[in-house]
Amino acid sequence: MARVKSSSLSADRSPVMTAFPPSTLPLLAVTGLEQSFGGVMALAGVSFQVAEGLIYAVIGPNGAGKTTLFNALCGFYQPAAGSIRFADRELLGLPPHRIAACGVARTFQNLQLFFNMTVVENVMVGGHLRAKTNVFAAALRLPWVRRQERCLRDWAIEALELCELGDCAHHPAGALPYGLMKRVEIARALAAKPRLLLLDEPAAGLNDTETLALRALITRIRASGVTVLLVEHHMPLVMGVSDRLLVLDYGSVLAEGDPVAIQTDPRVVAAYLGGAVSYAV
Amino acid sequence: MMRLAGLYALAAAVVVLPILWPDNYFVIVVGASAGLHVILAVGLNLLMGYAGQISLGHAAFFGLGAYTSAILSTRFGWPSLAALVASLLAVGVLAWLFARPILRLRGHYLAMATLGFGIIVHVVLVQATQWTGGPDGLSGIPPLNLLGWPVDGDLQWYGVIMAAMLLVLWLSLNLVDSQVGRALRAVHGSEFAAQMMGVDTGRAKTQVFVVSALFAAFAGSLFAHQQAFVSPDSFNLIVSVELVTMVVLGGMASTFGAACGAIALTFLQQGLVVFEDYEMLIHGALLMAVMIFLPQGLFVGLHQAAGRWWRASSRRL
Repeated sequence: MARVKSSSLSADRSPVMTAFPPSTLPLLAVTGLEQSFGGVMALAGVSFQVAEGLIYAVIGPNGAGKTTLFNALCGFYQPAAGSIRFADRELLGLPPHRIAACGVARTFQNLQLFFNMTVVENVMVGGHLRAKTNVFAAALRLPWVRRQERCLRDWAIEALELCELGDCAHHPAGALPYGLMKRVEIARALAAKPRLLLLDEPAAGLNDTETLALRALITRIRASGVTVLLVEHHMPLVMGVSDRLLVLDYGSVLAEGDPVAIQTDPRVVAAYLGGAVSYAV
Repeated sequence: MMRLAGLYALAAAVVVLPILWPDNYFVIVVGASAGLHVILAVGLNLLMGYAGQISLGHAAFFGLGAYTSAILSTRFGWPSLAALVASLLAVGVLAWLFARPILRLRGHYLAMATLGFGIIVHVVLVQATQWTGGPDGLSGIPPLNLLGWPVDGDLQWYGVIMAAMLLVLWLSLNLVDSQVGRALRAVHGSEFAAQMMGVDTGRAKTQVFVVSALFAAFAGSLFAHQQAFVSPDSFNLIVSVELVTMVVLGGMASTFGAACGAIALTFLQQGLVVFEDYEMLIHGALLMAVMIFLPQGLFVGLHQAAGRWWRASSRRL
């Protein structure tokens, strides 16, 4: 069992918590991030900090640089300048799989499920970093590999149940309705037991009931101790669920603050919310 | 238990067939040839069907395994079992060295590069006459000697090749249904998402490339000792294409699909010999028909159709 890391999604993080008390050091500190595509500045020196245990939303009009920001955080783009400190480690320059190993997981705006697998297998891939099998041991199916398989399956079922997907564990991923597929992506990311979860437009394409359920799910995820970074266009969801917001416009930070402050910020109202709009918190 | 049900069924068939028809050319000789093809196709399927990486040069690893074993046991007098192990090691290392640069390529570019590799290996086998015997090939390869038991005669070879085939099938089934196998399928499904789940996709692809080359080398070494003779023509581009055909014919991303494709194609080629001039014509037409009517492949398509029929008939009851 020595090769199997701790066995629960919501396992305690006490050593981490003592090293980084949430009130003093941010979990994620982005400074002066710059990313350009052929002369277009998609990110023009973006800086912000996310404290551990929060739901932190990034909003902004289409093309403001939200997904670019996510892709830069995940290592798919190599920003020209800036720094991404995550739990006191520099993420800038690391390849995506190394960033994932630091405790960052994400979902995708356009589904990136593994359609050639069942739901539970998809989520088991999410737990990839929590077990280490080599190709020879796997081919021979040694006893410890079998034990590890059981652990991975248990973790996956646990993540599926947190997302209320326990019933469709053995369906092919491609056979699910769209709303459930988006949930499987969240379960898959959670199976990695991340410290930071990036959700890229999780409500896009969902109906009202599904959006409400999503809101409850995001709250449950925070309660399990995972910090959530959320990119979303659905304003009632964002305003209802987030602890803090970052507003991007043309690749730079327009405003940062709690939902009430953002909704009353005249620059935000002018640039994005478009008039006197208010949402119940 | 269900996971290996197909393997047990196949093992039973392998044992029962020669009891029912001893001395039958189609069972013993063509069966052994089909067994080698199964090993090759199952290995290639790990790479193509599961990991989604095409290889048009797989016969090269088959040939390298055969020639390494042949050269070591004829020119250097190595015991055949040691030659087999050495050929696995040599091909494994070569595949590993070759995998890193080549697997950076995708799609058509990867197909081109593996095609090139296959052609280079074939040219080397033809041209390096002092080692390989050139176009005339190498003869006088001693039979396999399994710790004092020389494998001689068609029935013994049938047994050895079938055991090797079942071993490879077992390894492949295990691998696919493991963390390593899921990582491979994830690379095929979405390389982007796989990386974000912490899968080192470069490493995963390298691993499967090496495993699939090892299976091919294993088949090659057995082939060399079984035939006692190797020539470059057994490992040319056409063989590579036939291997791809077996995988696609049986059904991609299914171990038994690849096995089924290998068996079907081997028997088809043997069975069509009686049509003489029309052999290739019928061969091609049958392949086209299968791809048009069962696009998921022979095994996968029929398997799904049987499942649908089963559900429909149980609903009617």
